[in-house]
Amino acid sequence: MSKLIMFYARECPHCQAMMPRVEKLEKEEKIAFDKLEVWHDEKNADLMRSYRSVLAPKCGGQLRTPTFFNPDTNDVLCGEVSYEKLKEWALKQK
Amino acid sequence: MKKFWRCFVCNDIHYGVRPPEVCPTCLVKNAYVEVSSAEARKVCAATETTMTREDFRQAIEKFSDKNEFQVNPDKERVEMLLDGLFANEKNHSLKYCPCRLTSGDLTEDLKLVCPCNFLVHETYKDKPDGECWCGLFVRRKP
Repeated sequence: MSKLIMFYARECPHCQAMMPRVEKLEKEEKIAFDKLEVWHDEKNADLMRSYRSVLAPKCGGQLRTPTFFNPDTNDVLCGEVSYEKLKEWALKQK
Repeated sequence: MKKFWRCFVCNDIHYGVRPPEVCPTCLVKNAYVEVSSAEARKVCAATETTMTREDFRQAIEKFSDKNEFQVNPDKERVEMLLDGLFANEKNHSLKYCPCRLTSGDLTEDLKLVCPCNFLVHETYKDKPDGECWCGLFVRRKP
């Protein structure tokens, strides 16, 4: 299983809405996400920026949160989505 | 290219491609002269202003009053977003959208300052339930 990343921001309501869905998925499917906060941690912000060319085209041309990312395959899921959609995306990464 | 312009009557500062024909402050016609960014900064610095959270709240209410959108009625969401906007202003100089990240290119990043031009974004344009990316502004219901 590839390492999956969730780029999120502390004061982003979409990210807050996604957190319980991510945690449920982690518990049910034994999938782990690296949850990286990007507005209060410059190292995480720089990491997200380093993937800009891959992330931005999938996210309206910008770096947006939340963004789910598989660095091994460059597969990206952007924004607040249903649990089912998140699960479908994550299982595809297996 | 945008430039700075100063009204020679009342020192109103305008930033844009061309100066206003009529100064909105003193109403004098053809009053603007092009100035340097340094001069514009200095003129503006003479009037130090700060904006509290309440000031900003009132500013965005007033801004949306005459538009097709409104501030999100979900107060809890608005409070969280205001937390982010003011944290970003404190830590990163400008009220950047809490749901996006700066790139390091200031020209690009200025597009992330709240309120942004969300009317053209795919989350708002042509959508009956459109909202800006973070959800601070939502389309006004008829």
